[in-house]
Amino acid sequence: MSAAPAKTPFWLLLPAKIGAAILVMAKQVGGLSILAGKILRRLTPGQIDRHELFRNMNRMGVRSVPIIAATAAFTGGIMVIQAAPFVEQVQATSFVGWAATFTTIRELGPLLIGLIFNGRVGANNTAELGTMKVTDQIDALRALAIDPIAYLVVPRCLAMVSMMVLLCVIGDAIAIGGAMLTADMLLDVDPRVFWASAVERLEPWDFWVGLIKSGLFGIMIALTSCYYGLQTKGGAPGVGRSVNASVVAAAAGIFIMDYFSTFILD
Amino acid sequence: MTVRSKDVGLFEAAINVLKDFRAVWRVFTKTLYYLFRGKREKGEIARQMFHVGNESLFFMCITMAFIGAIITFQTGLQSKKLLPDFSLMGATYLKLLVRDLAASVGALPLATRVGAGIAAEIGSMVVTDQVDALRMCAADPIDYLVVPRFIACVIMGTVILVIGGFVAYGAGMLVAFVSFDVNPHTFNNLMYLNLGDLVLGFLKCLVYGAAIAIVSAQRGLATFGGSEGVGWATTEAVVGSCFAIIVLNLIISTVGYFLVPGVGPM
Repeated sequence: MSAAPAKTPFWLLLPAKIGAAILVMAKQVGGLSILAGKILRRLTPGQIDRHELFRNMNRMGVRSVPIIAATAAFTGGIMVIQAAPFVEQVQATSFVGWAATFTTIRELGPLLIGLIFNGRVGANNTAELGTMKVTDQIDALRALAIDPIAYLVVPRCLAMVSMMVLLCVIGDAIAIGGAMLTADMLLDVDPRVFWASAVERLEPWDFWVGLIKSGLFGIMIALTSCYYGLQTKGGAPGVGRSVNASVVAAAAGIFIMDYFSTFILD
Repeated sequence: MTVRSKDVGLFEAAINVLKDFRAVWRVFTKTLYYLFRGKREKGEIARQMFHVGNESLFFMCITMAFIGAIITFQTGLQSKKLLPDFSLMGATYLKLLVRDLAASVGALPLATRVGAGIAAEIGSMVVTDQVDALRMCAADPIDYLVVPRFIACVIMGTVILVIGGFVAYGAGMLVAFVSFDVNPHTFNNLMYLNLGDLVLGFLKCLVYGAAIAIVSAQRGLATFGGSEGVGWATTEAVVGSCFAIIVLNLIISTVGYFLVPGVGPM
């Protein structure tokens, strides 16, 4: 914007900026929807490259287990530590188990695992697709009459969504274990009391809400990271830029989606 | 040099974590040294502060508003099942927000936004040999690149997290009013808040800002392998800073639980 033709008046600057931001956002949402449509049309079983799918599942899911497990264990502990003053104040030790498991399963588990998954897998995926894009490998695929969406994008999206849900189950279990341990050490709540309180008050629906949420976050991360990867231009620096944009957009998307799904899945 | 994406055993993974920790620690001590001894380039800190602060303000405000809304809504649902009394909801929420959530949950999107930016910037300098050029000019890259980012992250990170906390509080108040009919006057209750909570919250903000800067800068400086390496470094910076935040949160919260009980009025 070095050679602006005329100086915009001060009072028009803010609406202009807001309008530009909304236009950019609308463009991105539109692009994401078109990509989602393209992926949906290619979801018939025969078209998916099975080898690529399993390779991605291993790379994205199995390799993420250690970091997810460590994060979840710490999160469970932190949750009980934060609740501890309140629990001591009202002497509600029999509710600790329920409160901790409820929060983990419904809210914190999917959210935190989603954020870590976004940082690890989503960013990596954008970097990979972006590098392919700027080195013209995707055009090369097209030249060989291989559909890049069916070959590259669909297996990645399927792997991300399924692995996100499965990692969420593992993470929930480990976080509850961490919470149980912390409650035992810090508040002298017996693990059996903790467990009994959780089992008594939890409903299967709470668990399903968590799984649905993690699936939604998985879809969000998958679509965003593939979209930004395929939109990359401008050589190597462009890859860095689109990785950054993709991680930020997916994080914002996760929070917004979390809000609406919390409201809808009462 | 670490080898990426290879099957490693558990012990090897543990050793790698220790190695990473040592590398981060080395950058941290060097940063502290140059913080007092180094020479400062005029305007660089202000420029970095603009990057960290002003440019993430919009993103952080939106994210924190949604986080605040989610937390209040979820708390309301939870307490509706136990006892339908919302009079202390605001007081409890405010205490939790100040003590932990504003800093710890807000730091994760901040790490995504800022950490990815720092790692991508320093990483692309490394792979284009600009950092070696700095060394040739007898300028230590830690003094020249890391220290301004460190100062900017600590100051602006704290400012942004505090602003985010206010936004989250406002959003929570709105949701409590709309969904659970809690009067804003009832919600706005400082009863449970005390000085210890404020100190703990501020300490967390400062520490997270520092952790984001140091971890991301270290990942950026350790970049190798061309433009693909920059993508990897970005990923590792986001995951590493998120993980560092969670571990630091556990440590600070545990120490805070014993030193700053935070029960009772101010």
